[in-house]
Amino acid sequence: METSRATRADLIDPAQLASLGRMEIVAKWVVDGFLQGLHRSPRKGFSVEFAEFRPYQPGDDLRYIDWKIVARADKWMVKQFEEETNMRAAIVLDVSKSMDWRGAPSRLTKLAYAEQVVAALALLLIRQKDAVGLIRYDETLRSVIPPRARNVQWRRIVSALEEGGAGNDSDMSAALVQAGKLVSRPGLVVLISDLLVDEEATLNAVKVVRAGGHGVTVLHIMDPSERDFDVSPEGVFVDPEREGLRLPATASEVQEAYRSTVDHAIAEWRSKLAALGVGYEVVFTDSPFGVPLRRAFASRQRLP
Amino acid sequence: MSFLAPLYLLLAGAVAVPLFLHLRRRRIENRVDFPAVRYLERAEKDNVRQLKIRNLLLMFLRIATVLAIAVAAARPIGAFFGAGHVPTALAIVLDNSLSTSAIVNGQPLLASLRASALDAANAATGSDRVWFVTVDGSVTGGSLDAVRQAISRTDVHPARGDLATAITRATGLVVGSGLGARQVVVVTDAQATTWNAPLATGDVRLSVLAPAGTPPSNRAVVLAEARPARWTPRGAVVARAQLPDSATYRIALGEQTLARGTAREGEDLTVRAAPSGRGWRAGVVELEPDELRADDARWFAVWLGAAPRVRPDPAAGPFLRTAVDALVQDARVAPGDDVALGAADGILRLPALLLAPSDPSRLGAANRALERLGLPWRFAQPRRDQTAVRGERFDGVRASLRYPLEAQPGATGDTIATAGGAPWIVAGDGYVIIASPLDPAATDLPLNANFVPWLGDIIAQRLAGSASALLQAVPGGAVRYPAGVEGLEGSDGQVTPIAAGAPAPTRAGVYFLRRGTERVGALVVNAEPDESDLARLPIATLRDRVRARDAVVTADRAVWKRSLFDVGSRRPLQLPLILLALALLVAETVVLRRGERLGDAA
Repeated sequence: METSRATRADLIDPAQLASLGRMEIVAKWVVDGFLQGLHRSPRKGFSVEFAEFRPYQPGDDLRYIDWKIVARADKWMVKQFEEETNMRAAIVLDVSKSMDWRGAPSRLTKLAYAEQVVAALALLLIRQKDAVGLIRYDETLRSVIPPRARNVQWRRIVSALEEGGAGNDSDMSAALVQAGKLVSRPGLVVLISDLLVDEEATLNAVKVVRAGGHGVTVLHIMDPSERDFDVSPEGVFVDPEREGLRLPATASEVQEAYRSTVDHAIAEWRSKLAALGVGYEVVFTDSPFGVPLRRAFASRQRLP
Repeated sequence: MSFLAPLYLLLAGAVAVPLFLHLRRRRIENRVDFPAVRYLERAEKDNVRQLKIRNLLLMFLRIATVLAIAVAAARPIGAFFGAGHVPTALAIVLDNSLSTSAIVNGQPLLASLRASALDAANAATGSDRVWFVTVDGSVTGGSLDAVRQAISRTDVHPARGDLATAITRATGLVVGSGLGARQVVVVTDAQATTWNAPLATGDVRLSVLAPAGTPPSNRAVVLAEARPARWTPRGAVVARAQLPDSATYRIALGEQTLARGTAREGEDLTVRAAPSGRGWRAGVVELEPDELRADDARWFAVWLGAAPRVRPDPAAGPFLRTAVDALVQDARVAPGDDVALGAADGILRLPALLLAPSDPSRLGAANRALERLGLPWRFAQPRRDQTAVRGERFDGVRASLRYPLEAQPGATGDTIATAGGAPWIVAGDGYVIIASPLDPAATDLPLNANFVPWLGDIIAQRLAGSASALLQAVPGGAVRYPAGVEGLEGSDGQVTPIAAGAPAPTRAGVYFLRRGTERVGALVVNAEPDESDLARLPIATLRDRVRARDAVVTADRAVWKRSLFDVGSRRPLQLPLILLALALLVAETVVLRRGERLGDAA
């Protein structure tokens, strides 16, 4: 696949991209496109052993700008170092029933979108020589793959993504605690979920993980219809995980209040997670895969 | 508020639709899986008050829109900011009778009545239909400008006119207009002699404005008459004045003043004279001027000349002979052969008074005599029945034997009296025919007290030379001119041709009847004496005389103006309601879309 800017896989419509091939193929296209956008060699990283200089590109970490060169030559250059694999990461993926939903046929379900992000992120990290593990959960832990840095690890993760799920609840606390245990030394936990969970229990679990010295990044997956409430003009709206929760509503009547509530909930998540030192990003399923990937990769870059 | 199409109010039942939609919200059956129901639940919980208010507002706006449309369809009429009125058929009746020429507060009363009529016309709009009717029978319709100009141009009618007919005509006009709101307004001086009978306009609203206060005192000549009408050459002028006190008067005949003096209320003035002239003369009785000038003079006419010489046929019976003797003694006729009086079969020449034969066997001879004299009438077979005679001055006269008169082809002339539907007395050029013999066995005419004066008049007017009719009329009133009259000669000598059925001139005075160059009679035109009585009806009494729906009778101009145009300040509310419905729809759209726009912006 061409990787010019016009056709970079990390920048095009995710549903279109996902329809082009299997998950592994798509993940490779996304990662290749993403790395090309960074203008970095997969074998170059920001480790401790200096390798070379290169021109500054937007998105580069300002910490690696060589200020002496800037002062002498008025050129913005960044230092590149030989890679070194020493980080362990765990990706925690919510596969409950609420994730298996989309607001329009032209979009991916939240779960499909998240799985593609997981595959791409895992590949990216493994190419960085990082150890990556995966935990899939709904009401129980569906898959637990301890972090490894070997190439076969990625195949294992992709295989796990094809397993079932879609339970009627999300036991995120248990999954996060398990992730903290899997990453034995300070590492990175990436939580990918629609966050339709008990807020307090989730935050408590995040606190536990953070107490273990891990960096945490939350990718909040939302379907655009969950933001705009445009799925139907009116109807009895039913929570697929909790059949008892059903509300009759007319979209035109509650749309304004609904959007306000969603905005408020997002702001609440953002502020409470920020207070815990947790990175948080809302990702809509019509966004190109590069968006969550860049966010998760930036989190990894902040870690040693 | 009233409705022109009240059945459309049933459309108001459509308010059930927004109500149903509002209530149906809780019975939606369409299931939609939506993982973020918790946000929806929280949104409803946090905004329940706002949502309820918004929903109620939407429901109210929709119901109000439906109601506004339904009421607009019913074409309501009602007050709207106190302006305008429903399209109205309005007829303005202005009493411009002679009495309104009286000077009140320095100007003719008609001027203030005219101003009030203009007020009514000025309050009309282009959607009204307006007519202007006066007591002289004039009707003006069409544009408002035409009506206003007609009101401004209206002058005093020189007679009483007919207010009742004017109001009836006005009522007919508004009823025939096809408009739902109808009104007749009357501006009058409330003269008691005019409002002497109840007036009804049925379902048509009537508003009457009458002046308050006491009318000015008035002096008027109410009688001026030459007795007899033919002076041979002596006669008398009898005059009477209506006076609150005393006043100087003058009686003139032609250029000659017959008498001057001071007249007093209740006195008849009689002036005897024997003028030297010959032919028809005009006379006048005048009073000193007062606030109502038009009735300060009254006209009369008299024929001056020698007494006609007559000779009654002895065979005509004792009653005719006795009557002629009485006329001779009074110098109204003289013995002689100028005029023959007798049974038809014995008359050989004209002029003549021809009587029906007393013996039916003489019927053939009588008809042959008529034929020989060239008269276009024939006696029919005798009828013996008690038949009432109909005609002026013949009240109570009956005929028990009569020969009904049959007109021959080309017959002209006047039928003076009828009996049993057939001509009984006819007159023409130089002849008078009576269809019964002057015998108590045939008719009681010779026994009637009016017989001798009538005989004297008929000889003077129909048989003596060229002098004939003396007619009385009111200005512009109906006149029955004698056969052969071709024109009217005014006081200035101008002759105006007249046609059959032409009304009397509208100016008071004496007009001579002309046949060619000959004066054959006189038409005396005077206003009705009643019109000089300016006494007004009290408002309460006037109100009792009016029989109409929602009648307003007042002396207060402001009250009267408020009563104009049906209900004063009512107008069609259809357009404001349609605009209201559109505004409600816009408001509903704004409330509905506001949330969506805010959501999009967010």
